[in-house]
Amino acid sequence: MDAPLPALSDLLRRELVAELLALARAGGATFADVYGEHAVVTGFALDESRLKTASYSVLQGVGVRAVRGEQTAYAYADGFAPDALREAARVAARIAREAPPAAAGAGPPPAFRVVEAPAPFTLQDPATLALDEAAKVAILRRADAAARAHDPRVREVSASFATSARAYLVANTDGDWAEDRTHLSRLVVSALALEGNQRQESFATAGGCVERGFYSVERTPETVATEAASGAALLLGAREPEAGSYPVVVCNGWGGVMVHECFGHSMEGDTIRKRTSIRASQLGAQVAARGVTIVDSALVPWSRGSFRVDDEGTPAQRTVLVEDGILVGYLWDRLNAVLTGHRPTGNGRRASYRDYPLCRMTNTWIEPGPHAPEALLADVKRGLYCKKLGGGSVNPADGNFSFQVTEAWQIEDGRLTHPVRNATLTGNGNDAMLRIDGVGSDLAIDGATGSCGKDGQWKPVGVGQPTVRFTGITVGGTAL
Amino acid sequence: MSAPAPASRHASPAELLALCERAVARARAHGAAQADACAEGSRAFTVRVHGGTIETLKQSGSLGVGVRAMVGDAVGFASGTDLSPGGLDDLARRAVALARFATPDEANAVPGPAEAGEPPPADLELHDPAALELTAERKIAMALELERLARAADPRVTRSDGASVSSAGGAFALVNSRGVARAWQGTSVSAWVVVLADDRDGRQQTGVEGMSVRRLADLAPLEDMARRAAKRAVSRIGARPVPSARVPVVMHPDIAGAWVSEMAEAWSGEAVLKQSSWLTGKLGETIASPRVTLVDDGTLPRRVGSSPCDGEGVRARRNVLVERGRLAMFLYDHYHARRARRASTGSGLRGWSGTPAIGTHNLYLEPGDESPEAILRRVDCGFYYDDQGSFGLNPVTGDYSFQAQGHWIEKGELVHPVDGVTVAGNSLDMLRAIEAVGNDLTWKSSFAAPTLLIGEMTVSGR
Repeated sequence: MDAPLPALSDLLRRELVAELLALARAGGATFADVYGEHAVVTGFALDESRLKTASYSVLQGVGVRAVRGEQTAYAYADGFAPDALREAARVAARIAREAPPAAAGAGPPPAFRVVEAPAPFTLQDPATLALDEAAKVAILRRADAAARAHDPRVREVSASFATSARAYLVANTDGDWAEDRTHLSRLVVSALALEGNQRQESFATAGGCVERGFYSVERTPETVATEAASGAALLLGAREPEAGSYPVVVCNGWGGVMVHECFGHSMEGDTIRKRTSIRASQLGAQVAARGVTIVDSALVPWSRGSFRVDDEGTPAQRTVLVEDGILVGYLWDRLNAVLTGHRPTGNGRRASYRDYPLCRMTNTWIEPGPHAPEALLADVKRGLYCKKLGGGSVNPADGNFSFQVTEAWQIEDGRLTHPVRNATLTGNGNDAMLRIDGVGSDLAIDGATGSCGKDGQWKPVGVGQPTVRFTGITVGGTAL
Repeated sequence: MSAPAPASRHASPAELLALCERAVARARAHGAAQADACAEGSRAFTVRVHGGTIETLKQSGSLGVGVRAMVGDAVGFASGTDLSPGGLDDLARRAVALARFATPDEANAVPGPAEAGEPPPADLELHDPAALELTAERKIAMALELERLARAADPRVTRSDGASVSSAGGAFALVNSRGVARAWQGTSVSAWVVVLADDRDGRQQTGVEGMSVRRLADLAPLEDMARRAAKRAVSRIGARPVPSARVPVVMHPDIAGAWVSEMAEAWSGEAVLKQSSWLTGKLGETIASPRVTLVDDGTLPRRVGSSPCDGEGVRARRNVLVERGRLAMFLYDHYHARRARRASTGSGLRGWSGTPAIGTHNLYLEPGDESPEAILRRVDCGFYYDDQGSFGLNPVTGDYSFQAQGHWIEKGELVHPVDGVTVAGNSLDMLRAIEAVGNDLTWKSSFAAPTLLIGEMTVSGR
């Protein structure tokens, strides 16, 4: 069991933070903030039934940002030694050294106000701190045994249990002072199945910002392991996908990675302000089929994408992006909100104190619709049902997206006939949400799996949707 | 506007060696039978510009240590940035304590001096004083110029999505309890630009170009990068899908290089041991066209992936993975080499915050003697493939399926731009179907390949 996280306000006293902010603004910056972090990361991995990895890392330090107009300067120091932090603040300040000093606002803020924001949920006994080494190893051993016992064709199993307990503090020249903690843990099991000269792999995950009891009640190691093992065994008998453009039905939960990539990235405030996103000119326009409502919210209980305040100190909120097909709002971090006259929506996020904040999604999903999920399959003559998706990506400027579908099923006359492997979905995000022609009632949000990359920064996210049907998505495959 | 002074110097190799020595000594004192420590110190400064002005300036500096401790043949690991005597002692103590939870495995060991080998005597020219002396002002000027040139290269380029220039210097040290101590330092310089061109129906097309090199002098002229980025964006205007078909595919060097790098995991001795590689059991067999020779070489002077040794102190070497179509070898770190009763191939890659993992240094497909133009002329009807999405190679099966952009080829000519398609096949089939290898090998990072002609792949479109 790990020691509790330190209180960052003990490591970073208010007087020092005020001094750092004054230093950062000394060159004429109009805004500055200080971000301090202490994160404890542990990792245990069982592979070939051997516990091969037992690791512990501490990441701690402070980043200082100075902003003038559209310009940002950033520097950081590892640890909390005041002289190193002063040096970082001086480096950040130089961005605007030759500009005339700002008439108002130079110097430290007169006083800090603690940002008031209710916690979206509270953890009594977070798995990050409450599970000791032996408990983590026991979870992995149970997963390994269950995956191997599930099917004799399961040849190898890898299981890992990772935790990240993070305390952070943000203070800025507006006088905002905010502190929060996040407790992420995740179990990942992957199974390799062999039969003849066929080999297939599948994985399953569980976790989020969860209590220690989560892994003994909601998602046991056996449940996760069985998902991975049965997925790998199923793929041994799967066929290659048919190449072409046809109806695609995407599963609920993790299937929401489609809306994250195809739509969410193009709604991030930096691309809107710079007008590099096609969405910049579409406020009030129909961007998705009628009946489609898309939301981003960091308030989802137990999800990896949730928090009380973002990495700029803005309280988490629920932001409706699309209402019944109409674009009604964007995602804003502080910088891009101020420059465009909007209010920040709590989407300023950074990978660590070594990075300046970017405008990022939190938990993003499509709200439920009227259809029973089976009904969405029933009137498809020939199509693809995507049950498990792998990675996905989009180029926000041109809208081209792609997703790996790790487990799919052929739909013939409304029935799932056989499993399909190695399909890739592609299309253009500009019209993908307009191609939705049916939204199910079975909303699920996957708060255990997602990590989103942007400009080299990786950040945990949640994604979700009910079962959704698209018309005319291009499916990559080798069968014609 | 003025800019920050040049970044302070990173930690020297000698300082890092001393840190590692102390960490290994502490691990031994806490009861480790064997131990190693890896330290890295780096300084980087990155400039991003957009629309003719600075967008961000970022100074990065890191200094961290990772300690691996072996107790009764089991391994524990801890890493951190508190390098005070108390901080190092805490890391060493934690690494030893964690080993108690790991499975004893007699293959766990650190290499001795004979296994590690002497570092190559020749200077790999990884450290460039000119890169360290590149001032922030100069980087800002370069980024602004790169963006300006790319926008000016073609009137159809309507906007930029930014340009960036960065430089970095760093040092690495590795010390183990069997007397291996290695340290080296290197620099890097990189430049990137993204431009946008308007297309019909409010759409836009992107053109990305850039590279990362060890030495400032190896950076391509900014004019060349700018012109290529602009050409890429405008050549996509009017792109459309094509009907699904099985056709010959010509891979641009960027695409061929990305394929080679994605395939690398199949050569991992760990994946082969666990039978999770699609190359399992094929050692010595012909797996590719005789035109294919695939090499991973950590000793190429000036290259991004070169280093005198790997993350366990084992001398870097030239590993020929495929020789004229024959699968010649797999890659090993020290642990998996012992499991397979072989020698490490110097492929245990590692940063300060992690344990060694099998990886490649500079992975490339050797060039042939045909020009890319001549290769194109061979194709009567096919797909010229020059951009792709992320994710699409299954590391277990070698199945390949990527979102693709490029041009349709008729009678050896590019006739119209294509997007909204995927290109699919299986890596083993693709390796065997390589019908031509270009003479245009160009290094932009730590992997590279020339233009390739693949006899048949499935293009999925309308």
